[in-house]
Amino acid sequence: MELRINQQTYQVEADADTPLLWVIRDDLGLTGTKYGCGLAQCGACSVLVDGNVVRACVTPVAGVVGREVTTIEAIEADAVGKRVVAAWVEHQVAQCGYCQSGQVMAATALLKHTPKPSTEQIDAAMVNLCRCGTYNAIHAAVHELAQGENA
Amino acid sequence: MNNSRFARTAGWLALPCLVAAGLLAWYVTREPATPFSASDSANAALVSRGEYVARLSDCVACHSLPGKAPFAGGLEMATPLGAIHATNITADREHGIGAYSLADFDRAVRQGVAPGGRRLYPAMPYPSYAKLSDDDVRALYAFFMKGVQPAAEANIPSSIPWPLNLRWPIALWNGLFAPTTAYAQKPDQDPLWNRGAYIVQGPGHCGSCHTPRGLAFNEKALDESGAPFLAGALLDGWYAPSLRQDHNTGLGRWSEAEIVQFLKTGRNRHAVVYGSMTEAFNNSTQFMSDDDLSAIARYLKALPGEPRRDGAPWQYQATAAAPDAPGAHTYATRCASCHGADGKGQAEWMPPLAGATSMLAAENASAINITLNGSQRIVAAGVPDAYRMPAFREQLSDREIAEVLSFARSAWGNQGGAVQAKAVGELRGHTDPASSSPIILHMR
Repeated sequence: MELRINQQTYQVEADADTPLLWVIRDDLGLTGTKYGCGLAQCGACSVLVDGNVVRACVTPVAGVVGREVTTIEAIEADAVGKRVVAAWVEHQVAQCGYCQSGQVMAATALLKHTPKPSTEQIDAAMVNLCRCGTYNAIHAAVHELAQGENA
Repeated sequence: MNNSRFARTAGWLALPCLVAAGLLAWYVTREPATPFSASDSANAALVSRGEYVARLSDCVACHSLPGKAPFAGGLEMATPLGAIHATNITADREHGIGAYSLADFDRAVRQGVAPGGRRLYPAMPYPSYAKLSDDDVRALYAFFMKGVQPAAEANIPSSIPWPLNLRWPIALWNGLFAPTTAYAQKPDQDPLWNRGAYIVQGPGHCGSCHTPRGLAFNEKALDESGAPFLAGALLDGWYAPSLRQDHNTGLGRWSEAEIVQFLKTGRNRHAVVYGSMTEAFNNSTQFMSDDDLSAIARYLKALPGEPRRDGAPWQYQATAAAPDAPGAHTYATRCASCHGADGKGQAEWMPPLAGATSMLAAENASAINITLNGSQRIVAAGVPDAYRMPAFREQLSDREIAEVLSFARSAWGNQGGAVQAKAVGELRGHTDPASSSPIILHMR
């Protein structure tokens, strides 16, 4: 099947129900997206599909044929994603870093849909788990981003 | 002179060589002796046929335990009166049915009567198996006698106290509720319909779960002549939905091909097997032939629905997500990754909640149970499923589960209605593996 990932076209041989995460990590070698729980609970595997955040571990690959997938590798090609990464660096969010590609994808999806989200909207969207407990740093970075481009 | 002597000697030598070669040719191509005669090939076919009937009948579901010898019995069935255990039905002569004649076997399977006249509990679905044909009973007997390894596994006595453990009243129950004749072909219906009716009513014993039961735990109807037949029933903490043409809670929106796909692969665009149906799928329906599955689908599609029971026909309605609605936030964070923010699921891999029976039926046991305890492993054609519903027992409180289910059962046109935290709490207690009040066979 033919997949569009990060503006490139890939030919992939996989069963229809293979999780998208396995294809992008094992078949295509895009290992920035992480495997966490495999149950859509933690968010480490978050990617964007047509601009919406999805958990790649529970996304059958057949379901994204004909759609545009964005992974952490290409997030800085997106204007919003570039701002998010810059804020993450400025706030030194990452500790071990394992969950952070998923956190960045979640924040990018939120800001693409809602450029200036309210606190409630941020709380509703930023639900990925972080074992290091970097929630305060994530909170600070997203709230700064929520004030808009000039903040 | 020399030449002729040489020729004569060669002639004498050639004879034994020819004999030896002939013996060798016979020896290396001979067919060795076997204890089986040519007529046993028919028996092999009968055993194989019997194995298929055992699959249709899902004998293994109750008469086998994981990790134990097949058909050695042991499954515990809790009843309000005490526990009973499925028995050893291997050909072991002491503990199993090795001493049964074909007639003994037939009386047990189709009439619920063990040798000596002892009545079986109707946990054994003999009111359904009564419809089995003579040929299928003969094949089933051949399979259990010759196709199953005998296992010397002792039966576990029931814990039902005297006098409740007296079996003779069951004979009276049988007289009222259990049919005594095999399935009779309906000449006004085509062969496919008749085959489907035979499997659904007889070996498949679909009605054991899907037909509501009366006061005496009897199935309210045993074939299509009764309106309650396969109209949906609560059993074992799951709601077995209607298999009739009910638009919302039955198979009204399923095509025949989709019914076949569901029973063959465990999934289609409407639903994925879960709850007790997972066992029926893993052990039985996926092994049915395509012809038999088509027959079942044809028969089920011929059972009319009942709009008064089913309610107004469901139609998808886009639901504007109100993030502050109770349950909506839990849905977005816990459910939407698989079931979709729009409730439509993902193709046949993750089932939709929009229009799902569990979201439309007034009975909410299945919705609560699957959320608390997750789904069991589905194994289709030897391959375990890639995606499974996780258990939220430890992660969500009774109130959170009640709220998220109330949200899902009222979103996207669903009309199942609100779920109370108390109902979640009760089922949580009943389905707790460490509970002292395990789930009982409610029947109703």
